[in-house]
Amino acid sequence: MGYSSSLIQRKFKDIVGKRYESVLKEYSEFLLTEEEVLIPEVRSILIPLDFFVHDIPDEAIDVLSAYDATISLAYITDAGVVDLLERALDRESTEEFRTKKEDYGRKLLERTAAKLEEHGFSTQTRMFVGHKGDDVVRMAKNHDMVALCRRYADGESTDASISPIVLRICQRVETPALIY
Amino acid sequence: MDTVALIAVAVFLFTYALIVDERIHRAVAAMLGAAIVVFVGIVPWEALLEHVDFGTIFLLLGMMIIVNTARGSGLFEYIAIRTAKLAKGSPIRVLVLFAIVTAIVSAFLDNVTTVLLLTPMLLYVARVMELNPVPFLVTEIFASNVGGAATLIGDPPNIMIASSAGLTFNEFLIHLAPIMVVDMAILLLMMYAIYGRSMKVSPDERQEMVRTLKGLDERAAIVDRSLFNKSVAVIAFVVLLFFVHDRVGEILHVVLPFVDPAMGLEPAEVALIGAAILLFWSRQSPEEIFEKIEWPALFFFGGLFVIVGALVETGIISSIAQIMVENVGSTGEAMFIVTWFAAIASAIVDNIPLTAAMIPLIHDLGATMDVYPLWWSLALGACLGGNGTAIGASANVVVIGIAERDGIGITFIDFLKVGMLVLFVTVAVGFGILWLKFAM
Repeated sequence: MGYSSSLIQRKFKDIVGKRYESVLKEYSEFLLTEEEVLIPEVRSILIPLDFFVHDIPDEAIDVLSAYDATISLAYITDAGVVDLLERALDRESTEEFRTKKEDYGRKLLERTAAKLEEHGFSTQTRMFVGHKGDDVVRMAKNHDMVALCRRYADGESTDASISPIVLRICQRVETPALIY
Repeated sequence: MDTVALIAVAVFLFTYALIVDERIHRAVAAMLGAAIVVFVGIVPWEALLEHVDFGTIFLLLGMMIIVNTARGSGLFEYIAIRTAKLAKGSPIRVLVLFAIVTAIVSAFLDNVTTVLLLTPMLLYVARVMELNPVPFLVTEIFASNVGGAATLIGDPPNIMIASSAGLTFNEFLIHLAPIMVVDMAILLLMMYAIYGRSMKVSPDERQEMVRTLKGLDERAAIVDRSLFNKSVAVIAFVVLLFFVHDRVGEILHVVLPFVDPAMGLEPAEVALIGAAILLFWSRQSPEEIFEKIEWPALFFFGGLFVIVGALVETGIISSIAQIMVENVGSTGEAMFIVTWFAAIASAIVDNIPLTAAMIPLIHDLGATMDVYPLWWSLALGACLGGNGTAIGASANVVVIGIAERDGIGITFIDFLKVGMLVLFVTVAVGFGILWLKFAM
């Protein structure tokens, strides 16, 4: 460090004291860091759906539109529930439940895919019976981002809290996760 | 020269050298110098109270309380984000808008706080635009010094001059503010001519910047909405009171007949009244606010006044004034010497100690000539002279220091090249206007 540089640093320290650190702290509350400014390359986004996710709001679509990505919609029926019904009810009732679920899931997938395609996204859909947490974590490995509805796998709670399964998924996935 | 005078001169030169070098905190250096001249009896207690300009110290204190209370509301961050958004992705607009906002804020609040709070935002915007931030930063420095020169409360040299010479806020608006408007326009043209070519961005980059800045919510910067509103209201009230501080009695007499119509308020009283109102109204903890007052700066001023007081007590200042009187033929000539000496010396020494030393000299010149124009010459030279070097004014040091911490090097020589050009052009224009006004 040359004389002029160390002179300026000395004067800076004497004039500003500790004020600059507090200014930086205040700014960090709402200014993005250099890392955050860079938009990560996201080519595929996984969006899990289930009985409790009725729609993807426009605000979430706006955020997703920042990426030029293909969206994979996956409707998951809880394997645990199907298993319980199979044990509690007769085969015919279980089959009827499964058909109704699949019917609902197919319609939701079609409706959601159509809405996303209207916004210029290309989409892929799939439907299966599985584990709402584990399967999403597994599938997320093949995607660059996962977008989760706060109500996913949560029942019809009326408050704005985030479902525990969603929080658990966020803790386990390595890809960026978006909660809407 | 007798021994006492030699000691006073030695202490003065040694302290100023310490202040320039800053290996010892400037406040400690000034206090040490003051302690020596008091200890050896050059400045006795009664004289000390006369030499310390409490008008300056209380004005600074009041404004520090107002600014530190207002800071907690997020007011400055709000201004910074609004300014960045207004630029709409154009680098030239960023440069011009930030320069204008810096100049306006610096004209009413202290330069250090202004640049301390605007520079991080300016660096952020330059980073988003992927442009070299140096042109933006040096323009901000110059704008802060030019803006600060426009009003009585904008820059410490003006506060010191006004307090000592009894000048009013409106006199500064009449004599200096128009010069600073012209200098600001010239400064922006110079910056455009020097840096304009390096500020091109592609339409895609501009869109990217607009999108990023759109994501910033200026309302999120407001930490405390109620304090924000109260701060804006009190700052507006204080500025308004500054406009009428010398004839506040006339106005109050209309509604309160017992008030003497001849009564006026000193600028320091205005600042302290504003500080008291804001503290009372905002219910902020006084302990927290008083802790944020820059006490070292106030002790620095106090020490300087005593050291310069020693030169007055020993007759050094009157001897220099006598030499000047014998060699200066006219007011215009005196204005020329004061302006350019103050400009060049404050680029080297820092304009605060320089002004502290020049004030008693001009008072002494008052015995033989009209010194009214010389106060404006001193204010012009001291404030704009700060633009000359990286250490010429506190705002320069703060911006360059922040840039260095961010990995952006602005070397002393790089700054000197542009700074000296700005100094000579702006001071020459300012001097020309003052000369036409007072010496023609």
